[in-house]
Formats: sequence, structure tokens, C-alpha cells
Amino acid sequence: MSNVVVNPYLPKPVIVEKIYIENEAKDLKTFRLSFCNEEDKSSFHYLCGQFAMLSVPGAGESPIGIASSPLDPDYLEFTVKRYPTGVVTTALHGMEEGSRIGVRGPFGNCFPLDEMEGRNVVIIGGGFAMTTLRSTIRYMLNDQNRGRFKNITVVYGARSPGELLYKNELKEWEDRDDMDTYITVDKGDENWKGRVGFVPTVLRQVAPSSENATVLVCGPPIMLKFTMLPLLELGFKPESIITSLERRMSCGIGKCGRCAVGSEYVCKNGPVFSYQRISELSEKLL
Amino acid sequence: MAAHVVRKADLKKFINAVKKKNTFLGPVSRKGDVTLAVVGLDDELVLSYSNFKLPPKTLLFPKNELISTYDDNGMVEVLPSEGEVVIFGIRPCDVLSLLHLDKVFLDEEFVDPYYQERRRNAVVVALACTEPMKTCYCTSVGGSPAGEEGADVLAFDLQDALLFEGCSEKGRAFMKTYADYLQKPTKADLASRNKISSEAPKKITPINVTGLTDKLEEHFESSLWEESAQPCLGCGVCTFTCPTCHCFGLHDEQYGQRGIRMRVHESCMFPSYSLEASGHNPRNANWERMRHRIMHKFHSTVRNFGDIFCVGCGRCIANCPVNLDIRETVAEVLHE
Repeated sequence: MSNVVVNPYLPKPVIVEKIYIENEAKDLKTFRLSFCNEEDKSSFHYLCGQFAMLSVPGAGESPIGIASSPLDPDYLEFTVKRYPTGVVTTALHGMEEGSRIGVRGPFGNCFPLDEMEGRNVVIIGGGFAMTTLRSTIRYMLNDQNRGRFKNITVVYGARSPGELLYKNELKEWEDRDDMDTYITVDKGDENWKGRVGFVPTVLRQVAPSSENATVLVCGPPIMLKFTMLPLLELGFKPESIITSLERRMSCGIGKCGRCAVGSEYVCKNGPVFSYQRISELSEKLL
Repeated sequence: MAAHVVRKADLKKFINAVKKKNTFLGPVSRKGDVTLAVVGLDDELVLSYSNFKLPPKTLLFPKNELISTYDDNGMVEVLPSEGEVVIFGIRPCDVLSLLHLDKVFLDEEFVDPYYQERRRNAVVVALACTEPMKTCYCTSVGGSPAGEEGADVLAFDLQDALLFEGCSEKGRAFMKTYADYLQKPTKADLASRNKISSEAPKKITPINVTGLTDKLEEHFESSLWEESAQPCLGCGVCTFTCPTCHCFGLHDEQYGQRGIRMRVHESCMFPSYSLEASGHNPRNANWERMRHRIMHKFHSTVRNFGDIFCVGCGRCIANCPVNLDIRETVAEVLHE
């Protein structure tokens, strides 16, 4: 046993540089964080789909998917939903720019971007589960990466227009001619001129080809459940349908036991799982 | 170093010598129970116990543990600083539980520095069982009343003497350090040692766990779970007294501008354990939590570490307020 151990429980100090309110209900905010120490910044290497523990001294820690792209320089971004009963999320939402918090991680596995090279990519997001998908889209759209992937199709839906995340980026994606973006809402309002309909319905209309394609799908459990059938009908193979799970966690490193799903720990063996793997678990998730 | 003995009359001298160099924990009487605690000046070792009420995991992974402090300047780790601790009297089943915990906390990908520090400093002097309890079934889950696996030193209570056998490098070094207090065993000593190791296992009623892991997977959706968990109060005593249960939570205590972060034992039998901020709880019903506990011990850990995380100590049976018996649950799954 060596004497030098990196303490995985010790958060790295970061400054909350910017806070963006994402939705009308104002319970979704994106926090842009920058490391206080250069060595922490240079040692924090993450991949699309990974998460980190956001550590607010006095409140505790929460596992949050990393929403920035690994190629975004100098900062990390996390989009956090505040729940009235969520101690850490409430504390985070109460913070001002310039506050100091901590980050532990990055933890977990990642989306299989290497295996997706040379393939068509379909990205399906629902509500505020768009965060690590946004990381992935930003990464794939980077000039140095766009050529590695074939067609990129994005289907993203939220309850209402005001609940759509990353509105400026959605506009950019819609304007790009090297990807197809379909934004939808469950219910429109007087200003909404876009698509109205649930994600599974829109997916059926868009009907992306499953030929040489991988689909990344994240959303609330009910959306995931109803998205699997159209995906399978479109011919996507269970091993090419990739999703990301969420569970309560304390450690993030496979010890505290909280995030167990069957014999898997979401923190360590996930959060990214294929539909194939999820179907094999004794616990029926979808 | 081969087997050596200390006559009971000389035991105090030996212990005092150990205490001069190390913290020494042994079986002593506390509040009517025999407890593993720091042996004080006036303490006599009590060797008449079957096993301790609480498992030894708390010595390496305390119930409440300070892991860091913080203030405006950031967070600082607080590593254990107890130094070398000699622990005498852990039963062989509980020693096996430490090997299981090692797999969790010393996993190469993320070494737990707090556990590692205590583990490195622990000299485990196990004490073979002479009188297993009715609730014991160590022999069915890889153990034995006189099993040496995981122990640094294995001791036998020979009535008029204690016999010690070095089982690891650390244990042999320990015996060498105290060689002045150790004598060569007589033939009668060795005979009585062998009698313990051959007789004690016969006093155990074994259980069947053959094929259990696959059966659990097969019968995950069975109605037996809801039925067998019906009396369960969800008190969590089975998990807190289990030597291999290692669930925990991290909690902050704030004092003005500064504070501390604690690691605290948790239980998968509590609804709050898996309750998410959104209100969603993946294991909402009591029976789902009980199923999870059993699955974790006999399925998940087998898949992940190759080991059943049950050492057959029987504490969950002995302490359950409604007499739930894990042996019966296991039998029900196998009969399903």
C-alpha cells in the first residue's frame, strides 16, 4: 500500500464565475465554474457523459452531469434544477457569482464517442436531462471533431417553450446545415411557432435512420420508457441505444452503496448504460 | 513463527508490554456486554464471549468519522492519526468481513484513504471460536470457527493459556517483537488447540447457499419478497450490526463560517437512503429495500467481487426485533 493517496473525498475549490437562469420557472440555472488552482484545472480531465460532485460546504454534495464540453477552455458548466426539498440544489441556487464551492470528480463512464466515430448520431433529450447531451453536441460540433461523425440528428423536447434549456444554442443548432435539429414542446404558448408534441411522437415523425447509427437518449423515466418502443421499431439495436441513469449518491466512487441498480453502481459502472445492459438487469428500469 | 503460548498467569505482563508500544483493544466488560475496547489499567480480558454485539468494522470505518474541515480558505482532509492498533479477540467470521471490506475500500481505482490508514495500522489477532452460537453459519459462507484467513495472528483459548499462531508477515513480526513473553507450546497445548479446531465446526448448523446467486436473479420479481418482508419494521439493525454492510452518507456540520464534514454509517433499509431530491425513490417499499439488502449480499457482491458478503455471524438474526431470519429467506429463495 503506497503512502501517497489522492483523497477522492476532497473537493477542489472553484469559483462560481457566472450563473445563467435557464427557464421561466427560474428553477434551472447553469453555473459556470473556474478552478481556483491551476494544478486542479490541469488535472481535471473529463469526457462527455461524466458527472462530478458539486460540494457546497455546510449543505453537502450532489452528483451533477457535466454540461460543458471537454474542449471548452478554462471553465466547467453544470445545469442544476432546484428542488424545494433538495438541500444542495437549493444552496446552489442561493449563491451569487463570485462564491466559492468545491468540485469532486470527474466520475463515472462516458458516452461511447470513440465507437460512434464514422456513424450517424441521433441525440434525444427531454426536459433538463439535456445537460450531458449538450456537452456531447458541443464536443461533436467542434471544428476538430465534426468530421469524425456522419449525420447528427437532435430531437429535444420540454414541457413548454420557457422550459427549454440552452435557448441560444438551440437556435445555433437549428441554423446549422451540418445537423438536423427538431425542437418540440408538450404545450405551446401564444409566441411559440415551433413544433408541439411529445418527444416519442416527434421521433416517429422524424424517423431517423437506424442504419449505422447510435442514439443517445436522456430524459425523465416516463419519456425514456415511451421512447424505447419507437427506437426499436425504427430498427435501432439495444446495444446502440445509449442512456444515462441518475441515482442518489454520497461518494461517487462506488463505496457508499446508494446508487446501486442491480449489481451495477451508477456512479462507477455508469452513469452511461446501453439499453441492452439495462434490459439485462434484474431490476426493471424501462 | 510457529505456535507459541502465553500462560494466563503471565497474560497481563504480555498485554502491558503490547500496550507500551501500541493501542491495544481487547474483549472487556462494558455496560454488561463484552465489548472490543481499549484495554484499560483495571480491565481484565474477558474470554467467555461468543461474539461481540457489534461488528469490528467500526474500528476501521467508524460510525461517525470526521473526514475534513472547512473554512473560508477551503477544505482540508483530516486523516486518522491513531497509529498502530493491536486488536485482539475478533472472531474468524468477522476477520473475513474485513477482507470483504478491503475489496470495497481498497479498490485500486479509488482507494479510501481513511480506511486505508486504519487498516494499515491494524494488527488483527483473531480468537478462534470454541462455542459457536445457534445463529452461526460461518462454515456455509467460506469461514470456519478456527479459520485463519485474513488474520495476522490466530489465537486459541486453551483455558490455562492462550496459543498464538502467526498467519501473516505482519503477524509473525508482531510475535517476534514480543518473543520474550511467548513460550513453546507443550504437546498438551497443541492437542487442545487441535481439539478446538476440529470440534467447533461440528457445533454449527450449516445452511445451503448453492446456486443462490443465480436463483436471486431469477426470482427478483417473485412475490416471496413482499411476503417474507411483511413483519420487517425497517429499523435497520440488520445493517448496522452486519460486519460487511458499509453504506454511508456524508454530512456537513456548520459552525458559523467554518465547519466539518462527517462520514456516517447509513442503512439501505431506510427510505431516505435512496430518496432523491425530486421525490423519486427507486426503492420505495420496505420489501424492495429488504430485497436489495439480500441481493447485495448474495448477488451483487458475488458478481462484482466474487464473494458472498455474508460471513454467517448471525447478528442480523440475533438482533432482529421481529425475529426475521436471513437463513429462512435464503431457503425460501432456493425453494422457489
